[in-house]
Amino acid sequence: MPRLSVWFIRAALVALAAGAAVGSLLLAAKASPAGGRLGYLVPLHAELLLIGWVVNLAFGVAYWILPKHAAGRERGHPAPAWAAFVLLNSGVAAAAFAAAAGAAPLLLAGRAAQLLALACFAAHAWSRIKPFGRGRAVRAN
Amino acid sequence: MPTLSRWLIRTGLGCCVAAFLLGVALAVPALRAAHPALAAAWPAYIHLLVVGWITQLIMGVAYWMFPRVQRGTSGGESAGWAAYATINLGLLCRVIGEPMVGLPAGAVSAWLLPLSAALQLTGILTFVVVIWPRVRSR
Repeated sequence: MPRLSVWFIRAALVALAAGAAVGSLLLAAKASPAGGRLGYLVPLHAELLLIGWVVNLAFGVAYWILPKHAAGRERGHPAPAWAAFVLLNSGVAAAAFAAAAGAAPLLLAGRAAQLLALACFAAHAWSRIKPFGRGRAVRAN
Repeated sequence: MPTLSRWLIRTGLGCCVAAFLLGVALAVPALRAAHPALAAAWPAYIHLLVVGWITQLIMGVAYWMFPRVQRGTSGGESAGWAAYATINLGLLCRVIGEPMVGLPAGAVSAWLLPLSAALQLTGILTFVVVIWPRVRSR
């Protein structure tokens, strides 16, 4: 497993544990009169699990298992994928905090960072979405 | 594919079927009107999909495909089974207890939902501990 996939997947596991902890708090409180007061944590729970867990995991596994290039660096230049990792996790942290605190400008910044992360990862992965065994050198011919 | 992965993936498929059936029931206004508990089952529907189906499918595939720490080792199999049991038991407690909130039978949910929360959190944390050492570079 390449080092970047390790970072993506470990970030996903951290987000899963944190999101599950928040979700457990919400669920345990639901049956008590205090349950309604924790409603502000629902967006934080959703952000951690839907973006932090699922998207980090998908990017990490995709970087690992998508077909490699036949010539040059086997997974292409890693810079866009590393940028995606930094942007995605900064975006999740910002949006999760902003969603819980109700800070609209920070939420927008977090969402923008997530969008840029997706663009960076798509730029990296696009040429690797191809049949196994077909490389850039073959395609050039 | 290891036995644990087969159970995780098959149970995940079962949760997906249950969620889709619940989704159909939630979309019928006459059913919702006749059974007030059904209207409160929306979060259970979402969690059957996200925890029961998607997360459990990921767990099954990760347990199968991620590199083993040492070839021939069990890879934390008993802890993996504990994660499987606690997540599914917790999810079942949620599906039963959540629609009861606010109903005459709501006293049951006062202990069923905290139990569900504790079981699911235990299961998720156990899975993270089991899989963490297998997320590594060559």
